[in-house]
Amino acid sequence: MTAIALPWAATPRPFVTERPADERGLVLAAQRGEREAFSELVRRHQRRAYVVARAIVINHEDAEDAVQEAFLHAYRAIDRFLPDQAFGAWLHRIVANAALDVTRRRKVRDADELPETVASPFRDPAESSELRSRLKGALETLPARQRAVIVLHDVEGFKHAEIGRMLDIPEGTARSDLHYARSHLRKVLGEVRSGL
Amino acid sequence: MSEMNEDMRGPSLVRDDALTNELRAIVAPPTAPGYWDGLEARIIARLERGREEGRWWVLSERAYRFGMIAAGLVLIVAGSVWLRSRAVETRMAYESVIETPGSDLPMFARRNALDDRSATLRAATGH
Repeated sequence: MTAIALPWAATPRPFVTERPADERGLVLAAQRGEREAFSELVRRHQRRAYVVARAIVINHEDAEDAVQEAFLHAYRAIDRFLPDQAFGAWLHRIVANAALDVTRRRKVRDADELPETVASPFRDPAESSELRSRLKGALETLPARQRAVIVLHDVEGFKHAEIGRMLDIPEGTARSDLHYARSHLRKVLGEVRSGL
Repeated sequence: MSEMNEDMRGPSLVRDDALTNELRAIVAPPTAPGYWDGLEARIIARLERGREEGRWWVLSERAYRFGMIAAGLVLIVAGSVWLRSRAVETRMAYESVIETPGSDLPMFARRNALDDRSATLRAATGH
């Protein structure tokens, strides 16, 4: 299997609904039970799925967990997917649900356990500066939905309607979430800048 | 473009490039070489485990179906046996009611009303 260049690998780009010409064929093959076809769908969509998950969950490990859960769910539900629809949009909704589940589980877990530091092989770039660290802290205090909306919209370029479908919220709610998230983070950013 | 216009309505609704850049750095996907191949391998491994669990479920589902069919058959057999025994009991009870008192009690026959009337008539007319 040849490596496929991911169009969004270099720079974040707005979400588009068009699909590669053979994606429908891959979906149909996956529905027939061909493992390699589903593996190819994983290869094509895992990075974008990670981005969606990372917008919702707090950390990298949870995002990975959500992505794996989502692909497992998608694999089990692939028979119910209509091949003429956009696989990416369908998958992103599954990823968002999985990420929200992970967030809920983490909340329960964090409430039960004492905070502890877990060593991770992944070095988070957010730790590299004071400003970023403070902003990351502020991002973590945002409700999961607001966090998801600002990242998906401002960083990843998704439109409000797409975010609404993904998170199962009205478009207007996505807009107001974006407003509150921006206000909150901008305030934190201003405080940090004035203190530096 | 219309979205940008909507975003420009209020100061807090304007996209802040500095903020966006910081956010981008915070949620940036890993760039380590081989990371995505590794994640793909972990996803496929998880699918395989899920498939094994799925097989277990398929097996247990088959066992469940077999059990339900067996239980259905047992119910049908038990039901027919019960109905049969109930019919026998009903018949025996019916026969015992019909036969037992009938053999011992004296038989009474109602006299014909027409015979009484003709006897009265004969006595009155003197024939």
